[in-house]
Amino acid sequence: MHALEISHLRKGYGGKMAVNDVSFTIKAGEFFGFLGPNGAGKTTTINCITGVGHFTEGTIKVFGIDVNADYRAARRKVGVSPQEFNVDIFSKTAQIIDFMGGYYGMHKQLRQERVRALLKQFNLEEHANKQFMLLSGGLKRRVMLARAMVHDPELLILDEPTAGVDVELRHELWRHLQELNAKGKTILLTSHYLEEVEMLCKKIAIINKGKIAAIGDKEEFIKDGKKLEHAYLSITKGESF
Amino acid sequence: MQEINWMGFWTFVRREIQRTFRVVTQTLVTPWISALLYIFIFGSVVGSRISLIGGVSYISFVLPGILMMNIIASAFAASSSALYFARFTHSIEEMLVAPFSHIEMIAAYTLSAVVRAVFVGVGIYIIAIFFASANISHFGLFLFYCIAVATVFSLLGILVGLWAKGFEQLNVLNTFVIMPLSFLGGMFYSIDMLPKNLQIVAHLNPFFYFTDGIRYSMIGIRESNATIGFVLIILLIMVLGGVVYHLFNIGWRLRV
Repeated sequence: MHALEISHLRKGYGGKMAVNDVSFTIKAGEFFGFLGPNGAGKTTTINCITGVGHFTEGTIKVFGIDVNADYRAARRKVGVSPQEFNVDIFSKTAQIIDFMGGYYGMHKQLRQERVRALLKQFNLEEHANKQFMLLSGGLKRRVMLARAMVHDPELLILDEPTAGVDVELRHELWRHLQELNAKGKTILLTSHYLEEVEMLCKKIAIINKGKIAAIGDKEEFIKDGKKLEHAYLSITKGESF
Repeated sequence: MQEINWMGFWTFVRREIQRTFRVVTQTLVTPWISALLYIFIFGSVVGSRISLIGGVSYISFVLPGILMMNIIASAFAASSSALYFARFTHSIEEMLVAPFSHIEMIAAYTLSAVVRAVFVGVGIYIIAIFFASANISHFGLFLFYCIAVATVFSLLGILVGLWAKGFEQLNVLNTFVIMPLSFLGGMFYSIDMLPKNLQIVAHLNPFFYFTDGIRYSMIGIRESNATIGFVLIILLIMVLGGVVYHLFNIGWRLRV
């Protein structure tokens, strides 16, 4: 069973192709690294999966459900933590998570239980009633992750979740993500921290200039004792690795 | 037939109503004070020196116009600012990734704006009671005009919320269209007072039908054709609703 199946996705902005004939799959339960330089098409691809982006060419299926034809069922299976903070900055931490649960159709009692659990899981309890804009960068990132997980999605999409967070929190997040993956959650992770991807992901795809430049198991990228960074730089410069 | 995301819909409306109360001075207190001043100065101070219009006191004559003007302004401001703010902060993405249909999103923005307009209207009515000018002759019609006109301007606000690229543009329609047409729509005067050719022009102003309709529901005086007013309001709801729905469907300034 594929958690995500992207087939011949094309998406452009003002005549310029941001994603050009992208196809790849992620197996259920996989921890998948999606890498590429800035502007390569990672966020555009993610936007098309989640519904933030509009696309007309290609198909995207989440656990076999077409994200356009049956968007409600598809979106219920996906949780996303975006690269940029996309939140009402005046709302309070607990409110942000609670509202998102409501949007996904969760009833009050279930939402309250889930909000409490997530606040505890991400050490946000003492910040529950603080406005988002008053939180530090690391705390804001935790809120984004908690919000993404409120409806217990089967596919978690994390667009640079550790950008701008301190080392301690990064390690804490890695532990959380590994636990979630061990419980069977499929995770798609984009990051510019290649050591993070190397440590967490089992399969990796590298996108460059809107096209998938390489895809395979992690071991294929780090053979002969080389680091992922070596393969990444070779691929994004158009060299073989 | 697709299921309806009722819980999501109510959460959306609840969030918008909470937003209204988060800035209560701006959203409710300001229009109440503004209406109080209008009622006191135009209705009471100036009005006491004006003879009856259509057999009623001047304050009773102008109150429906003041009420309608504030309902229109509140409904428009609520939906336009809510959508523009969501686009500006990218918090609109919360709704785009959630299992909402476009109709649910539009209905939620519209309903929350209508609720805010009703809060404003109820407050103004209570203020009017203290000036002994509050009266409702046809309660059903009164409700219809309040809610239907608020719906028209909520939808118009959604359009402007989508169109605006900056905070300044949010006020363009209000300053150059809504306010002038409200004042020229017979809010403070009977169109009988106008020269004949201007009376014809007044009949082309849709705001005249909104004001006159609510005035009839409150004090039983009508200067316009009720059928034209009714058809106009329903038509505006259908046309604006259709345009908004189309823009949501193509993701105009909504989806990247």
